[in-house]
Amino acid sequence: MPDASFDIVVVGSGAGGGTVAKELAPLCAEGARVGVFEWGAKLRDDELTGREVEMAHRLFFDSGGMLTKDRAMTLAAGRTYGGSTVVYTGTSLTIPLRVVERWQVPGLEWEDIERRSAKYAVENNVHLLGPELHNDNNRLFVDGCRALGWRAEQFPINVDGCRGAGLCNLGCPNLAKQGTHRVQLPAAEQAGVEVITNAKVERIGDRECRVTVRNPGFGEPSPWAPGEYRVRSKVVVVAGNAVQSSALLLRSGLGARLPALGRYLTLHPALILAGEHERSLSNFVGHPKSFYCDEFLESDRFLLETCMYFPFTTAKNLIGFGDEHSELMRAFPRMQQILVLAIDPAREDNRVTVDKRGNPVVDYRLTGGVLDALHRSMIAAAEVFFAAGACRVHAPAGERFFIPADEQEHLDKLIPRRNVRPGQISITSAHLMGGCRMGADPATSVTDAWGQVHGVPWLFVADSSLFPRCSEVNPYLTVMALAERVAERVSDRFKELSSS
Amino acid sequence: MDSLSQERASFLATLAERVVPEVEGLDLAGKTRFFRIVDDALKARSPSLRRQFGTLLGVIRWLPLLRWGVPFERLTRGRQEKVLRWLLGCPFGTLRQGFWGLRTMVFMGYYGQAEVWESIGYAPRFDGNEALHA
Repeated sequence: MPDASFDIVVVGSGAGGGTVAKELAPLCAEGARVGVFEWGAKLRDDELTGREVEMAHRLFFDSGGMLTKDRAMTLAAGRTYGGSTVVYTGTSLTIPLRVVERWQVPGLEWEDIERRSAKYAVENNVHLLGPELHNDNNRLFVDGCRALGWRAEQFPINVDGCRGAGLCNLGCPNLAKQGTHRVQLPAAEQAGVEVITNAKVERIGDRECRVTVRNPGFGEPSPWAPGEYRVRSKVVVVAGNAVQSSALLLRSGLGARLPALGRYLTLHPALILAGEHERSLSNFVGHPKSFYCDEFLESDRFLLETCMYFPFTTAKNLIGFGDEHSELMRAFPRMQQILVLAIDPAREDNRVTVDKRGNPVVDYRLTGGVLDALHRSMIAAAEVFFAAGACRVHAPAGERFFIPADEQEHLDKLIPRRNVRPGQISITSAHLMGGCRMGADPATSVTDAWGQVHGVPWLFVADSSLFPRCSEVNPYLTVMALAERVAERVSDRFKELSSS
Repeated sequence: MDSLSQERASFLATLAERVVPEVEGLDLAGKTRFFRIVDDALKARSPSLRRQFGTLLGVIRWLPLLRWGVPFERLTRGRQEKVLRWLLGCPFGTLRQGFWGLRTMVFMGYYGQAEVWESIGYAPRFDGNEALHA
């Protein structure tokens, strides 16, 4: 088995790994060898075709269809050079003060995260799109919220040169999304960081990683030849997303000494509703996710967001089949969509484990409180649709496939709580958090406030698995802020870690 | 299809027409694409999952025997839909989850084809902003 030696290995190239790579890149000038091992491929620009099934296969774990153990939820996480920053919609929010206060991590202050988030917001060109670039799908959401007297806020997004393809979740074909694949990783590579793609880190031993390189048949071939490698490193930073990072550390045998490893997973459970209008809308063109409503975040623990998904994703998220389902799909140009997200609690037994082959198993139960929140969010979303002029609405927990506008006074009866049952509606997650949570106590946390794994001074975590609880907002800027802290700790202790 | 026998693939086509009625109107090229997409998705899954999918098709095919004495493909359209609605909300988790997976596969096979986008009015364009105020 070929050997390689690095000073620092980073596992994963998304919001966490890409940020760590860039912030540690200056060490290359001092002679350090820094390597990023990314499981996914680096796609060529011409491979960003916008074809849904093809791009899902190229860019996501399990083509975007990873299931929880009970199959009640579908999880989406990016697996590509740039990780999930290639496939999210670019919404960039700073984590609220109240959330960090609830996290209660000694040594972690909101002001520090806020400052670092602001830095990456500048670096990623985060800004508000002008009103001339809001499509009907977004405008109707705002109109509906305002007619109901609810707050509708605009999402700042990380784009440069957005042409409104609306294909953000399939990799921006206009190269406009400023994810780590466009910003942090190229800067890191220019400074001497090596990025080895198509490289899965199988296990982490004592300052070494076992890596398998396998080219998938798309994207650029890995700079390393296919095969198995033993990669020695003085420092290892794990940033493979909450599920994969937890799984990697578990199959590396760290579960015995860290009882909280894999636990306290939060997923921001979400589902889609559709409203049909009489007229054609600009919905699949323009940026798809420009607004949100947090009117009920504190009271009812849910958010509403604009969204517009592609045909297959839309189809599988609608309930039912047959003539009615086809009828709504044929109304695609007249369809408005809203994504609802529930804030889920961090429970010890919502966790990542690994099976006999070391593959992650996500054992997650939706609580009654979360189902209540999803129920209320569906009613709220339906109200927004009707307030915006929709003639009928499809809600996943609806008693009937369509709810017509003239029955909107009876939403409580037409979207009953009893229909909100796991496995009976399509619930998804694109915000995977927890599993390697920060904290002071090794009995209940995996890392300290700087991402250093308890009891393993050369091992760090730098992704959303650090979150002790749900971030309540899109996690990416927060991941980048935390990743910078991790990079600082690595850099500060590099001499000491190199010599030990 | 490599991942299903000819018989099971044929039955899948029958089921697909209930899930997405437009599948029936696909031409040969469209049906070929449908099966290729589903086949690729099945081949990406583990062998045990592929076997489970095949078993599920068999169960759905012969389940109506219990009530109507005939296999699924010989039921009236109305009864076929009744069977599938029962599976959609089936109290037995394994069957329900299996049907939801099958439903997803059929949607992928149909709506995952760029060639059907025109029929539902989906016309993405990389310069989408140009169409915002058209």
